[in-house]
Amino acid sequence: MAEKHGHKHAPMVEEISDFEALEIAVRELAIEKGLFTAEDHRKFTEFAEHIGPTPAGRLVAKAWLDPKYKKLCLEDGIKASLAVGVDWLKPTGFGTPSDYTDLRVLEDTPTLHHVVVCTLCSCYPRPILGFQPEWYRIPNYRRRLVRWPRQVLAEFGLVLPPEVEVRVEDSNQKCRFIVMPMRPAGTEGWTEDQLTEIMTRDCLIGVTLPKPGTTTNLKLPLHRAVNPAHH
Amino acid sequence: MAKNKEHHDRGHHAAIATGKGDPQCFKGKAGGPPKFKVGDQVRIKDLPDVFYTRTQVYTRGAVGKVAVVTHESPAPEDEAWDHTDHSEWFYIVRFRQKDLWPEYPDAFAKDTLQTEFSERWLEPA
Repeated sequence: MAEKHGHKHAPMVEEISDFEALEIAVRELAIEKGLFTAEDHRKFTEFAEHIGPTPAGRLVAKAWLDPKYKKLCLEDGIKASLAVGVDWLKPTGFGTPSDYTDLRVLEDTPTLHHVVVCTLCSCYPRPILGFQPEWYRIPNYRRRLVRWPRQVLAEFGLVLPPEVEVRVEDSNQKCRFIVMPMRPAGTEGWTEDQLTEIMTRDCLIGVTLPKPGTTTNLKLPLHRAVNPAHH
Repeated sequence: MAKNKEHHDRGHHAAIATGKGDPQCFKGKAGGPPKFKVGDQVRIKDLPDVFYTRTQVYTRGAVGKVAVVTHESPAPEDEAWDHTDHSEWFYIVRFRQKDLWPEYPDAFAKDTLQTEFSERWLEPA
């Protein structure tokens, strides 16, 4: 059939990489040892690959609305996470502890902006923010953010004036970090749900700032093909 | 032989950590109070690291201030080899970017960077 129509088959993936084989081996061992079940693994993967709104976004939204809760966030991120449904000791709801359990919330002010990186690998607060975006894992971001933070932020579209101190947090040990930006103008009277929606993943890493109208659940615009195929 | 097997039973971490978490399970294990406090000026030692470390090269020899005393944990240089008998205090240290990178632009002299060290890497400065 394919030859008749004169087009090629899509290439078949015939091999799995060493890293995939390693992941499968470790996962199957963990399941065999009873650390978690296949269903638990699927559930966590589904959570971790879901971009937003994240529990971390809700944590910030709650803190904007409740000064007492904000204080708790700054003092004890692990305890504060419970209010948004994340138990770092059992982040998947089935008993295994998270990578580490020392969440720190970095508060931005009019003269201070935080941005998070892990220069050594890609340490990230997964239980509350899901998996890292690909750019967070690659050496380009990791090497350059510590050395040229303002240039890298500008590449993300964030240009900050010299009066604002840019503070890079290199997450190299067991602490994990999220950024708590200032509540943006134009959100007066908003509910917690509305505020949660604008606290996107990138705001929590610190490479952008929350803005009314920018959420992770915007519908993608549909661009019509310039030369559509008529089958 | 049995002892050897026990030592190589890496599953024991999971058993210890379950329900307790990590580094919470090393709380109180550093054998004393932290040597440095918030605001102390410290220099990062340039210790040899033959196999494994989490102390970045760009911080070696730099002087900063303790921003947070975080928790107790085995140092990564030990924990990487499953040596968890000794814990240390950990500190988030704040550096002026200018002190890490001499060519950092003067226009942004206020910019800072924070990262974390176990106590063995710090000395008073």
